[in-house]
Amino acid sequence: MKVAVFWGCRILTSQYAYEISVRQVLPQLGVELVDLREMHCCGDIIKSINTFATTYMAARIMALAGETGLTDLLVPCSRCHFTISEARYLLERDEKLREKVDALLEEEGLEYPPEIKIWHVIDLLHDAVGLNLIKRKVKRSLESLKLASHVGCQTVRPSAIGRVDSPEMPQKLDKLIEVLGARSLEYSEKLDCCGAILMFSHPEAALTLAGSKIKALQELGVDGLIDSCPACHMMFDENQESAARVVGGRLSLPVLYYTQLLGIAMGIDIEKLGLHLNQTPVEKILEKLIQLKEEAHDGTETRSKKERRV
Amino acid sequence: MSLVDLTSMAKPNKEIRGKILTKLGGIELINCFQCLKCTSGCTAFKLLELAPHEVVKLVKLGFVEGLITSEIIWTCATCLKCTERCPQKASPYHVIMALRNLAVEQGAKIPEAYLKAVSQILETGLLQTARKVATKKMETFDRKRLGLPEIKYPTETFKTVLLKVLEGALA
Amino acid sequence: MPRIGVYVCHCGLNIAGVVDVEEVTRYAKTLPDVVVAKHYTYMCSESGQRIIQEDIQAHGLERIVIAACSPRMHEKTFQKTVLEAGLNPYLLEIVNLREHCSWPHSEEPEKATEKAKELVGMGVAKARLLEPLEKRRVSVEKSVLVVGGGIAGIQASIDLANAGFKVYLVEKKPSIGGRMAQLDKTFPTLDCSACILTPKMVEVTRHPNIKLLTNAEVINVRGFVGNYEVTVVKKPRYVEEDKCVGCRLCMEVCPVKVPDEFNEGLSYTRAISIYSPHAVPNVAIINPEHCLRLKYNKDVCGKCLEVCRTKAINFEQQPETLQLKVGCIILAVGADVFDATKIPELGYGRFKNVISNIEFERMSDASGPTGGKILCPQTGKPPKGIVFIQCVGSRDKRFHEYCCRVGCMVSLKQAILAREKLGKDVDIYICFNDIRAFGKGYEEFYRRARDLDINFVNGIPSEVRSAPDGSLYLSVYEKSINKLLELHADLVVLACGLVPGQDFDRISEIFHLPRSADGFFLEAHPKLRPLESPTAGIFLAGACQGPKDIPDSVAQASGAAAKAMALLSKGEIEIEPLKAVLNQDLCSGCGICVPLCPYDAIKMKTERVNGVEKLRVQIVEAMCQGCGTCASACPAGAIKMQKYTNEQILAQVHAALTESGGVK
Repeated sequence: MKVAVFWGCRILTSQYAYEISVRQVLPQLGVELVDLREMHCCGDIIKSINTFATTYMAARIMALAGETGLTDLLVPCSRCHFTISEARYLLERDEKLREKVDALLEEEGLEYPPEIKIWHVIDLLHDAVGLNLIKRKVKRSLESLKLASHVGCQTVRPSAIGRVDSPEMPQKLDKLIEVLGARSLEYSEKLDCCGAILMFSHPEAALTLAGSKIKALQELGVDGLIDSCPACHMMFDENQESAARVVGGRLSLPVLYYTQLLGIAMGIDIEKLGLHLNQTPVEKILEKLIQLKEEAHDGTETRSKKERRV
Repeated sequence: MSLVDLTSMAKPNKEIRGKILTKLGGIELINCFQCLKCTSGCTAFKLLELAPHEVVKLVKLGFVEGLITSEIIWTCATCLKCTERCPQKASPYHVIMALRNLAVEQGAKIPEAYLKAVSQILETGLLQTARKVATKKMETFDRKRLGLPEIKYPTETFKTVLLKVLEGALA
Repeated sequence: MPRIGVYVCHCGLNIAGVVDVEEVTRYAKTLPDVVVAKHYTYMCSESGQRIIQEDIQAHGLERIVIAACSPRMHEKTFQKTVLEAGLNPYLLEIVNLREHCSWPHSEEPEKATEKAKELVGMGVAKARLLEPLEKRRVSVEKSVLVVGGGIAGIQASIDLANAGFKVYLVEKKPSIGGRMAQLDKTFPTLDCSACILTPKMVEVTRHPNIKLLTNAEVINVRGFVGNYEVTVVKKPRYVEEDKCVGCRLCMEVCPVKVPDEFNEGLSYTRAISIYSPHAVPNVAIINPEHCLRLKYNKDVCGKCLEVCRTKAINFEQQPETLQLKVGCIILAVGADVFDATKIPELGYGRFKNVISNIEFERMSDASGPTGGKILCPQTGKPPKGIVFIQCVGSRDKRFHEYCCRVGCMVSLKQAILAREKLGKDVDIYICFNDIRAFGKGYEEFYRRARDLDINFVNGIPSEVRSAPDGSLYLSVYEKSINKLLELHADLVVLACGLVPGQDFDRISEIFHLPRSADGFFLEAHPKLRPLESPTAGIFLAGACQGPKDIPDSVAQASGAAAKAMALLSKGEIEIEPLKAVLNQDLCSGCGICVPLCPYDAIKMKTERVNGVEKLRVQIVEAMCQGCGTCASACPAGAIKMQKYTNEQILAQVHAALTESGGVK
């Protein structure tokens, strides 16, 4: 399947590992990515300034997607996904709003597309690609891993406009983790917000939110946190150290994008998954996988390896 | 018939209240019956004392001026739990966004970072400039070194139209 | 041409506030054949009616047109008016200037007035062509079908039987008693529910006028008021009712465990079981989906056969179909309880210690799964802290917008019972939005709960979380003290509301009954006719018409019974002549109309006409509901609808489309 892809500000300017891993993994699952001819902000932050401007910006993205001739648009960031989905919801119901936006798009010769489906990485993989296909591509089972999933708030709420998964019991990311052989834990704080947007105005509160969640997961003894949004990843991975300073104690939890984890399971070279860019100790996970692989071999081989080293 | 808050001597502002209600078409903030579910589960309450039910009630009664100039409307984490769970579809989140828009319109003080973001978007089309990132081993990478395609920045026309839209709102 | 009188009603300001009634009257006077045209404030009042009657005498009026509110309001009234003045009541035409004119067009009075004139013109055009018709008297069956054996159905049956009417009480479950049988105590008296219910249940079985059909459902209803033909299917119990003595030995030996439906799945019963602790009839039933013998259709197990001393078990039992003839029907099918798995954030279905109010009720009942002890499902130990959460699934636009009416009283009752059973050291909290204690003795009951040191938290929590040990905690913002509180409890009880039953769609279809927006059955008028359905001869009682408590259900049941009695007491009723009439000479026997009739009122027959065998149809007047489908389909135009003839309707169309009332 061919999809247009809208990365959004954060991925393009700093969360490169997400882009790297998506570009690496999706084509191997039969999804061809087509970039839009222009990249600009979806209007997420502008919502606080002027919601109409946001609707215009999101509509322009959809118009650019329409220009590719494709009706599927992949939006890997949960905030962009909500912004664009809500804009679509409003434009398809409010005639006056639609007229105003159409007039603005027309100034550039752009047109709001007649048909468009907005995807996120989670539902694209779970619903369109399917768990069976993913399972077939797993070369290295992640059996030993006990992981926790985090779906961005704006990926699953508000359900009234149609979101990627159930708002109160999201399971798709967990199933995607489990199909790789790992365990995905159900935990009380599962739906807790990472606090990303508060970095703009109340950074200490934002870091407390992220730090508390990491702390809780550490106490549960999980091997890693799997997310699928650049804002959430920025909080849990890039800002884990800062969060530790705010909530106190030591935070050392590996945090990966799902597409990175998927790539590992598919046997893709870790350099090609951007894992070197993660700030948290993801090597702990890799070590655990290799360790168990070694233990799985029979005694003779291990011995002979030791002998050779000696 | 008049209404006044005796603590602050504030009076309701019917005009702005009317503006908010019109702006929020499908959001039924007027149906809020103060069940308090939103505040009970609010991500921002414990750390920043945001009480969404209070915001909605103040808007319902018309006490909007105090909200527009307050910091409290900028504490929302936009987690959307209130929108999801409200039994009356009053969505405090949308009410807060409307109040933020009015704050900008009226020239009230808004967090610096938002202003920076707006000017950056008007300049390059994106929220921030493409950064160099460092690995744990202190090696730095940019998009080029990572083999990622160049960013295709938007046309000038987009920025012009966007500026026009933003200014139109402030006019 | 007949002499027509036109009367335009102001309906206070309802019509006159929008429509210029004087102008409409002036216009009416200009129409041909209109001899008298008047307007008046309230045509339906005694003085208004007298004006019409006097005019009929004084001016020799032969047709009357009344332009007023909907015919559904006062057509019957005005028919009586003209009849008293000596005119056939079917020579009256009502024009709706309110629901069809002044109300929808209240913002455009000029256009509304023009429309009113057109409507009156149409009314006059039809009135010109009206013919006198006669009501028919039919005898009625002096028996009543009561559907649903809960407290409402039971009460209605007893009232009717005591008044000498024959009652068929059909209950889909193996025992009567409904929801009330599942309750421990009832508010506000804290009467033991079974103690006050079982005497009535026994009365039902003993009464010579009541035929009780349990494990049975109505599958078809045909006919019309006074003469309904009902098909009931009695599903097989695989146990002979007249042989089983209710000893329960079979239950002891049956190897198959089945979740106990009566106990809301909190315990297990067997594939052969007696449905409930005080079941009426006290007869066993075998569940064919679980019984090994019936499920696999093999000669296996049979342990129950071995122990049954009265040889009551019969695996060969077949469903029984009964055709009943009844005069009217009372629908008392009750309501379901909201399924809280629809609100996963509250933990129901995920955390064992989060239960629904109906599950709490079963636990509290001494004949329930825990012998009357309140226990945490996870540990089996009594709770040290209980939190009730109100309005689960109710007052919520995402699920049911209505207030369930009983949730507050149920939680107050359950909190009081918990206090009495568990002692004063247990913390009990009720998280509420409002406390609705509206009935007789209810506010006092609320005070009683406060007396017992039950805490009221004014706020609804957003979600419930579970600690590793299965205990529960939730945050709730308390409105009165403006604080975010965290409650830690080992039992959370959700006040689930009453909701329309899952089979309401099917029941709606079978009985041809509409539902209101909330999904419950629609009454003829919410204020003045709460017990009648829009279908003549079918009445509503109990929670199926809207969620309610026991006192209201009983009151409605007796009320519905009284309505049924009023209908049937004279032994005959009049039926409207607004039916389809066949012109034999035009009928070619093509049969197109036969399958189209939704009421199976048309039959094919052969006749000898002039020595030749001819195929014709016959319309069974008694079954015809006057819907008009056959008349519109008949290619020969052989069917005429009384008071809605083609000529009359076309005259109205013509009048609407031409100036001066359609007369060239």
